[in-house]
Amino acid sequence: MVLILFIFLFNYLQIIPAMITRIFLVFLLAGLMACQSNKRKLDAGDFEVSDSVAEAAALRVSEEAMEEIVQNVSSPIEMAALIKELGVPFSTKYLATTRHADDYNSNFQMALNLGVFGADLGYLNMYSKTSQVTDYLTAINKLADGIKVGQFFDFTTLKRLATNNENIDSLLYISVSSFNNMDDYLRENNRGHLSALMISGIWIEGLYLVTQVADAKSDPLLTDRIGEQKINLNNILLILNNYTSQSGFAEFIALMNELKAVYNEIEITYEIGEPETKEMNGMVMIVQNEKSIVHITEDQLKNITAKTKEIRNKLTSI
Amino acid sequence: MKKVYLLLLFLLVLGLPASFCQPPEVMMDSCAAAAGEDATYLKDFVVILPAATDQNNPPIARFPLVLSKSNIYRFSICNSRESGGMAVMKLYDSNRMIFSSYNENSGEEFNPFNFMCQKTGIYHVFISFEDGKPGQAVGILSYVTK
Repeated sequence: MVLILFIFLFNYLQIIPAMITRIFLVFLLAGLMACQSNKRKLDAGDFEVSDSVAEAAALRVSEEAMEEIVQNVSSPIEMAALIKELGVPFSTKYLATTRHADDYNSNFQMALNLGVFGADLGYLNMYSKTSQVTDYLTAINKLADGIKVGQFFDFTTLKRLATNNENIDSLLYISVSSFNNMDDYLRENNRGHLSALMISGIWIEGLYLVTQVADAKSDPLLTDRIGEQKINLNNILLILNNYTSQSGFAEFIALMNELKAVYNEIEITYEIGEPETKEMNGMVMIVQNEKSIVHITEDQLKNITAKTKEIRNKLTSI
Repeated sequence: MKKVYLLLLFLLVLGLPASFCQPPEVMMDSCAAAAGEDATYLKDFVVILPAATDQNNPPIARFPLVLSKSNIYRFSICNSRESGGMAVMKLYDSNRMIFSSYNENSGEEFNPFNFMCQKTGIYHVFISFEDGKPGQAVGILSYVTK
C-alpha cells in the first residue's frame, strides 16, 4: 500500500509519467494474483466452528475427516526413531530391495512401493546411512515419476545431501515434506486411491520393520507400539474400503483383513487422567495422564509378525 | 532518464509479490527450522483465514491427526508478516482441549509447546487468529528426540 501511495505521489508531482504509473498498476495486480495462486492447499480442511462447540461436544469424524486422519497414520520417521532410541543397531536386512523398482508397472504397485521405500528412506535417514540412501532415492524418484508426482520429490537436492553426507536434518526434512506434498497433491487431484496406497505402503513397511526388530530384541515399548497399530489398521481399512472398485484393491483389502483378524484378538483399554503441565528445558511440556494400555500375548505378537511379513513380502514382490 | 525510471519500476515490481505475501513453502521451511535441533519435522498445517464476521464464531482451521503413545511431539506456529493478529494453535483429543499456545486470560504465549502422548489415537489441531483477525499461518508438528 505504501508503494502505491509512493507511485501516486511521484505521479502527482509529475516525476513519473502517467503511462508508467499505469504499467506499474498492471504489474501490481498481476503480483497480487500470483500471490493468491500460492493458496493451493490452504483452503483444504478449513471451516468455521466456534470454540465452544468444539469444547462442549465430542467431535464427530466424518468420512472426509477420516481420510485426512489416514494421511497422518503412518509416518516414515516415528517407527524408525523408536527403534533407534532403543539402541537397536542398523541392519540392511530389514530393508525392501530396490532391485524390482523398474519392474513395478501398474499404478497400484508403484504407489504402494513408493510408500514402502519411503519408510525405508526414513529408517536410513534416522541412522544417517547416507551411502545407502541413493539407491532408495533413485527408486522413489522412478516410482514418483511413474504415478506423476515426481515434481514434488526433490531428487537432485536429496541426492546431493546424501552423496556429500551433508546436513542430515535437511535430508530428513526434505524427504518427509516431499512425501507430504506428493500425498497432498494426490488427494487434491482426485487420486486419493494412490494416496491411500502410498500411506498403506509406509504403514506396512513401518510395521514390518518394528515387528522384525521386536522378533530379534524383545522390548515392551516395541510390543506396545505393535499392538497399538490395531487403531491405525482400522483407519487404513476405512479408507481402502472407499476404493474397492479400483484395480488391485479387492485383493489388497482381503490381505489387510487377514491382518485385522489377527489384531482383533488384541485388547486396548484406557486409563483416565488429567493432563499435567510442566516446564522442561525452558519449554512447556504437557504430560498426558490418560493412557492406552495394550493387552497382547506372545503368541498374538508372533502371529502379527508372521502375517505382516507375509503381506509385506507379497506386496514388494513382482 | 525514462530508462532509469523504467528500471526502477521493474525492480519494484519484481519485489512486490514478496512484500505482499509469503509463500507457504518459505514459511514452512523457516517454521520447521525454528522448531529446534531436537525436533524432526513430521507434518505442516498451512492456513489462510478471513476476518471473523461474527466475533463469537471466528474462522478456525481444523486438522485431524494420529499421535502415538510414548512419543513427545512439538507443536509450533508461525504467523505471516501480513497477518492481522496472532495465530493460536490448540490441541484437542476427541472431546476436549488439551492445550492452547495462547492463554487468553493471562495473555501468555506458549509457542512452541511439547506434548508427551500416552494414548495412541485421533487428535485435532485447531488454528485460529486472536480476536478473529484475518491472517496466514503455518503450524508444524515435530517429533522430539528423547
